[in-house]
Amino acid sequence: MYYLGIDVGSVSTDIVVIDENYNVVESVYLRTKGRPIKAVQEGFKYIKEKIKTNEIAGVGTTGSGRHIAAFLVGADVVKNEITSHAVAALSLDKDVRTIIEIGGQDSKIITLENGMITDFAMNTVCAAGTGSFLDRQAERLEIPIEEFGDYALRSKNPVRIAGRCAVFAESDMIHKQQLGFAVEDIIRGLCEALVRNYLNNVAKGKDIKSKIFFQGGVAANKGMKRAFEEALGCEVFVPKHYNMMGAIGAAILAAERQIKWTNFKGFEIADVKYETASFECSGCSNLCEVAVIKCEDKVIGYFGDRCGRHSGKVAV
Amino acid sequence: MKVGIPRGLLYYKYKPFFTTFFEELGAEIIESPDTNKEILDLGVKLCTDEACLPIKVFHGHVEKIKDKCDLILVPRIMQVEKREFICPKFCGIPEMIENNIKDLPQITKAPIYSYSADKFLNWAYETGKLFTKSYIKIQRAFDYAIKEQNMFKEGIDDEGFQYKVALIGHTYNIYDKFINMNLVKKLNNFGIGVITHEVVDDNVKHMEVKKLFKRPFWTFAREYYGFASYAVRNQLIDGIIYLSSFACGIDSVIVELLKLEFEDIPFLLLKIDEHTGEAGFDTRVEAFVDMLTRRKGGNLA
Repeated sequence: MYYLGIDVGSVSTDIVVIDENYNVVESVYLRTKGRPIKAVQEGFKYIKEKIKTNEIAGVGTTGSGRHIAAFLVGADVVKNEITSHAVAALSLDKDVRTIIEIGGQDSKIITLENGMITDFAMNTVCAAGTGSFLDRQAERLEIPIEEFGDYALRSKNPVRIAGRCAVFAESDMIHKQQLGFAVEDIIRGLCEALVRNYLNNVAKGKDIKSKIFFQGGVAANKGMKRAFEEALGCEVFVPKHYNMMGAIGAAILAAERQIKWTNFKGFEIADVKYETASFECSGCSNLCEVAVIKCEDKVIGYFGDRCGRHSGKVAV
Repeated sequence: MKVGIPRGLLYYKYKPFFTTFFEELGAEIIESPDTNKEILDLGVKLCTDEACLPIKVFHGHVEKIKDKCDLILVPRIMQVEKREFICPKFCGIPEMIENNIKDLPQITKAPIYSYSADKFLNWAYETGKLFTKSYIKIQRAFDYAIKEQNMFKEGIDDEGFQYKVALIGHTYNIYDKFINMNLVKKLNNFGIGVITHEVVDDNVKHMEVKKLFKRPFWTFAREYYGFASYAVRNQLIDGIIYLSSFACGIDSVIVELLKLEFEDIPFLLLKIDEHTGEAGFDTRVEAFVDMLTRRKGGNLA
């Protein structure tokens, strides 16, 4: 039997299938592009060619879009990203003590002891220094994001870039560019700034002990890995499925549950037509923005109302 | 006379005093509604960009009721405790409101020093003058209002939960369910009880802060640190959640103080600003709850 894990994040949607020994059998990494439902469906189209619906014994979802994904696919476990990432890392190595995770909108630090989360922190309301910012800079410099790390590694003389705020960092980068500094040196400087910012902000006051895992989409960036190693003075490990760890964790959590009957609706939902709309509820002064999901003109779900007057109406 | 009371800033703390005082002077009270999206949008539009969210929200509340009343309470609270201060923005709030909002009715501007009845009476006379010429009437309204305020039972102390966290933060963040996305209810739904600082006696807090190397400058710092210290020492809590508005200067000091002092207690800092999307907020709360329950040997999933 297999277990399915889905991580609907701000930038990417990751879907994995693991076996009973938690080995990754299949995986898809897609861009969410602001359309979580479509992303999950795309992923299912790919996976259903390889795995049959009745082979799935449990489903877990995570990520900021975990609730909508859970509703769509029929999940057995819905878990936050922190717990999911920790579970996935621990399944690879029981000795991991620190997890650095940088995703599209979030950055987190998780510290562990004896296989338990002892502390964690996330960026606060500001998303500076996360994947979406690196994406934007890569786009601006017309460098494919996949090569961003290689550029950084080629630099011999990094330029100092302001950290702290993405807007400050960007204007500082532009000013340095205009002075004629090499792109490589600016990119490496940017990696160092982001690491400095992470350590002073998210990881402030946290005990960073090895073994350290670096996961999330930004871990693909070799420049970031090296900047972390230089700043921390020890090796930082990037697991093989670094960009899927959330989804793997969700799948493991589903497997650990040992449920008899999964709620899974099947890979066939890939071919169902869903539509989304939204309206402003005028039921009270909160004026909630409510998202509506429709399937063939029939409303199947509501999201975003605070009181539950809409979302409570439709059985999930 | 119709007196408008905006449901913002220290309204949640001093509501009994102000409503009683004005009612005793024969005023009709117009309260703004609970914070909602319209009020938030008005506040953000009218207020200077650099201000914190609670100040913006207060602007929204004033704007919402300004056409319905003859006088609006804009409390310029300077000091509530001798040799301590509260947020400097409170000292200038009447000027901020006056310069940011057009077509205002009259607003209260007299400063409030509430650490002694004598000092506080100055505000009452200054404000009461608008209603009556009789000092005795004002004095009576003031005494009655103080009595009401003293009878007001503040704070949250949930019972019957397996886990309990200290919820620390300014009252206008903790009791405004719109801007804190109904945090207390969220925690309760997770099976977490809440205790807030008002539950612990002021004298106890004064004793607790004596171990600091210096007397706290901010009243909020003394209250929150004193409360946390007492709660941790007496094992009343499993963790601390600090609810802070983005860019609050006082919070930044208190958060560091608490983190350094209570290293072994699970600590979660939640920052709020204009955001109304709840996903990020929920993730942090849920993960914190997972950590608390796992620490106590509960199940993860």
